[in-house]
Amino acid sequence: MLPGFHQNLEQQQAPAFFARGPSPFARLVFFAALSLALMATDSRLKYLNSVRENLMVFLHPLQVIANAPSLLYQFTGEYFSTHHYLLNENAELKKQSLQQQITLQRLKTLTLENANLRDLLQASKTMEETSTLGEIIHVGRDSFTKKVVVNRGSKQQIIAGAAVVDANGVIGQVTRTYPSSSEVTLITDKSLAIPIQIERNGLRAIAFGHGRDNTLDLPYLPANVDIRRGDKLITSGIDGIYPAGLAVATVTDIKVTPDSPFARIVCAPTGGIENHRQVLLVSIPQTETVIDSASPDNHQLANTTKRTINKTTITKKPAVGQSTNLSAHPKPAAGKPLDSNSKPSPANVTSKPHAQQ
Amino acid sequence: MHNNKLKSIYFSLFVAFICLLFPWSGLALKLRPDFMLLVIIYWLLRAPNQCNVGTAWFIGLCVDLATGGIFGQYALAYTITAFFAVIYQRRLVLFNATQQLVYVFLLLVISQIVLLILKTFAGTEPPGWGYFLPSITGVFLWQIAVTLGLNTGRQSRSN
Repeated sequence: MLPGFHQNLEQQQAPAFFARGPSPFARLVFFAALSLALMATDSRLKYLNSVRENLMVFLHPLQVIANAPSLLYQFTGEYFSTHHYLLNENAELKKQSLQQQITLQRLKTLTLENANLRDLLQASKTMEETSTLGEIIHVGRDSFTKKVVVNRGSKQQIIAGAAVVDANGVIGQVTRTYPSSSEVTLITDKSLAIPIQIERNGLRAIAFGHGRDNTLDLPYLPANVDIRRGDKLITSGIDGIYPAGLAVATVTDIKVTPDSPFARIVCAPTGGIENHRQVLLVSIPQTETVIDSASPDNHQLANTTKRTINKTTITKKPAVGQSTNLSAHPKPAAGKPLDSNSKPSPANVTSKPHAQQ
Repeated sequence: MHNNKLKSIYFSLFVAFICLLFPWSGLALKLRPDFMLLVIIYWLLRAPNQCNVGTAWFIGLCVDLATGGIFGQYALAYTITAFFAVIYQRRLVLFNATQQLVYVFLLLVISQIVLLILKTFAGTEPPGWGYFLPSITGVFLWQIAVTLGLNTGRQSRSN
């Protein structure tokens, strides 16, 4: 302490009691301005994503250290688990695997049959997804955003946009990737929308996270919509992000109020949003769509539909107003390029037969 | 002594950061006190020459990185809180334990309110009163540390 004391005396000719460099208020103004500038750059200009990725490299070892105690606890727990317990578990797992093998066999024949049928119909094949097992290593401390960090990142070919599922259903989507970890936004987060389908009647809609109490909302559906309590919501797969047919949520409550043209539908997610540690990261390879689509014309069509659907999911409120007739929505959008082609022009004459081949 | 103090500052901040990164979930997540801010407040009171508003800003930036939110939210909240801690630092070390506890509570609430305002601008719905639970658990943690023998006043005047 003493050397610092003397330095201060020499520099400022004032007792160290008062020597504190710039006043706290000056520092406050400076650093507050700095953080406001940072916030503006981060939220509006998106410059800082690469900076964040690089800094995460330093943060990752710390996350691993923080996880060590709970991992150690699990490990010792497993190590000292009794013989009897293990035998029981083994028997249980054998039974489960037998049951699953039977369904898997049926699945294989069904997949084959499905592929054949799609070939017959000349429809584009369903995209094959790749999946990676990951483990949740950190839950964001912020109570406003529902985010978790998993221990798989761009080194393991995880891309932003991959769906994250557990044994029971979809739990979220990868929103940022770092070298060896990635950030997952849960489906209950307010900023995440997920295109769904009612299992019972195939009605398509878009579910939004509620943000606060671990539920999902189905907004902008008319009061007389055919949804009942207990209906299962599954992913529709039309967004090209989530594989089709994954369980998402169950409808728990429907409220129709006379003062609103829309029904208020509350759903509870089926996946264990905050229960499990192991999750599966499922991504649909983007290149696959190009190979699978039969003709370039078809491809363009698929692309435009995808784009329009993406648009509806991103620009939340006004666009989703028509979410009930979403199935009809891509058609006019996809038809547009054809309309512009049909204008009387010399190019049209040459292009039309080509399109029909 | 100077070096020792710096070392203990770094070490305590490191430990608090690890605490922050623990895989919290469920109720524990709702009750989780703001470890980093508590440590910063402690060092602002005990070692105002080593720890200042700028330190708080930098720590806030680290927390921003860890939480994955927009850069600068925690930095701003911690900066403002640190400012209020610093301007009353001389009086604060003379307070008795209860007065100090109330003041620390106020500081924790200030940081949460700043965050709340920032979040409201970003368009989230206002949370319930449960939002302020971490401040209360934070004060409990402070009190536990004091009863365990952490010196939060008096001696720092000899700096």
